[in-house]
Amino acid sequence: MNEQDQANILMVDDQPGKLMSYEAILGPLGENLIKAKSAREALDHLLHHDVAVVLMDVSMPEIDGFELADMMRQHPRFQKTAIIFISAVHLTDLDRIKGYRSGAVDYISVPVVPELLRAKVGVFSELHRKTRQLERLNLELERRVEERTEQLRRSEEKLRERADLLELATEAIMVRDLNGTLLYWNSGAEALYGWPREEVLGKPLHELLQTKFPMSFLDIQAELAETGAWRGNLVQYTREGHEVVVGCRKALKAEGNAILEINRDITSQLKAEDALRKTERLAAMGRVAGIIAHEINNPLEAITNTFYLLRDHPSLDDEARYYAKLGEEELHRVAHITRQTLGFYRESKHPVEVSISTMLDEILELQMRRMEFDKVELEKQYRTTGTIRGFPVELKQVFLNLIGNAVQAMPDGGRLRLHVFEAPNRANQRAGVCISICDTGTGIDAEHAKHLFEPFFTTKSTKGTGLGLWISKGIVQKYGGTIRFRSVSLAGRNITCFQVFLPEAEFERPEVHGLPVGEELAVAAVAHGS
Amino acid sequence: MGADGITILCVDDEDIPRMLRRLILQKQGYNVLVASSGAEALEVLAGGGIDLVLSDQMMPGMTGTDLIKSVKASNPSMPAILVSGVNEIPVDAAYADRFVSKVGGPELLFQSVAEVLRQYGHDLEHKA
Repeated sequence: MNEQDQANILMVDDQPGKLMSYEAILGPLGENLIKAKSAREALDHLLHHDVAVVLMDVSMPEIDGFELADMMRQHPRFQKTAIIFISAVHLTDLDRIKGYRSGAVDYISVPVVPELLRAKVGVFSELHRKTRQLERLNLELERRVEERTEQLRRSEEKLRERADLLELATEAIMVRDLNGTLLYWNSGAEALYGWPREEVLGKPLHELLQTKFPMSFLDIQAELAETGAWRGNLVQYTREGHEVVVGCRKALKAEGNAILEINRDITSQLKAEDALRKTERLAAMGRVAGIIAHEINNPLEAITNTFYLLRDHPSLDDEARYYAKLGEEELHRVAHITRQTLGFYRESKHPVEVSISTMLDEILELQMRRMEFDKVELEKQYRTTGTIRGFPVELKQVFLNLIGNAVQAMPDGGRLRLHVFEAPNRANQRAGVCISICDTGTGIDAEHAKHLFEPFFTTKSTKGTGLGLWISKGIVQKYGGTIRFRSVSLAGRNITCFQVFLPEAEFERPEVHGLPVGEELAVAAVAHGS
Repeated sequence: MGADGITILCVDDEDIPRMLRRLILQKQGYNVLVASSGAEALEVLAGGGIDLVLSDQMMPGMTGTDLIKSVKASNPSMPAILVSGVNEIPVDAAYADRFVSKVGGPELLFQSVAEVLRQYGHDLEHKA
């Protein structure tokens, strides 16, 4: 038994001989034996040692055994200390011993039987040791519990901090289970989408936000399952029904039972980027326009002058003169387009009465061969002649573009529908003429739709200049009108409709004299694109 | 006085456009002298007998506006028209009496020439 585990046994007797005999009897127990020759000495030892058993003679001078026991019991530290009295037992003694209710008390009568004494002391020592061990274990246990509690408190604090962080984030942070049901919704999500947390928890996330995914939902799920993460842009709707584009990051939780989603509103960022791209495109347009102006206008003037000289040349016969006239007319169109496109000069003539329906018929006349060839059916519905004041050449340009595009979109046949009707004076719109041009051709996808009216945007690859609709829009806007389109897919058939509105209010344009108008028009190329 | 009596100095560094511009003006009845640069134009003008200067803007060395500025400095009553194929109006184009687009066609040119001449007191029989 090592020293630490040894129990202290305090033996108190005024007779050294008895102390020696107790020592001899108890020696085999292997405990630490402390001898005291008086009660006073015993108290001193008690104060300095953790004593397991006190073995005391009842009859001692000065302070006897009972008195010592009384003193010990008054001290809280010794209330449970085991005491063994050694005495010739009288009835009165037994009564007194019973009086020590608390703590272990025993007695041994004289003459002392060594085995009995050893056994009793052994039991108490062992009890003490066990108690101490238990106490130590308890302490250890308590310490561990405390430690664990502290750990829990800290991790709780961390969680709380993290939750606070989630609330601080301006991003919408959401957690949903694998069925799409919302489990968590931070204040960023409240701010972005407009729903308070208590209204959305437990609801299906993507149905709530009417999420449009850039790829199939199954593919996203597959990627999430495979890599644990997905990122991309989503189109969603707020509580107020506003469309928002969000940059989305999804992550599958480590446990695989939920999906974390962080969404950032990038709507205005995309708009800014879009505007920047448009501006860049317009700037590039301006540079190209300058080059075209120089490279095309110079030879154009020369050719125009050539035809002018040729037109009435006496050496020409009627047929040649007819060809020259045709060439000159076509050249006028080119000159007109470069003037329009490059924003140089407007025509200096006055506006005249133009019948839109007559003009459409003239254009159809030009398209008729192609329409017959491509098996395009025509449906005309003119509810009005659509007479407005304007400039025939540029108006013709608008409808030539729109009808030409419609016909070209139906190389495998289809139906071209032209409607002309009067648009009444409404709260937000003046009275005027509406012209709708619909085709059942290839349709316009959403991505193209955004850029449709931008300069140099074309879906006809090498065939188109990408300027037709841009110019058309510019012309219509000059008349204070609007040009809109819609492309829908119905029963597997694409229907694309362009609707032009031209207000009937008399259209006056400034005369071109000298510089001021020229200056104004020098920037017209840019204004068109807006 | 008819267009027949009017002499126009046509200035352009490019031969073919200059020739064609001369021909259409002659067809209108104007007398036309030519110069292939601003410097040459100033020499011709010094000889006298010119009623109107019609100059291209983009020329190497002396530009159309440089030429007209110089002409107007010594002779403010000399009618001058600038023609250009570019869509940017030169900064000091205002020295010219008129700025005409090359793609306006012959009629616009004739009309501009006639108007400017009338502005300077020429009584033309020919009307554009």
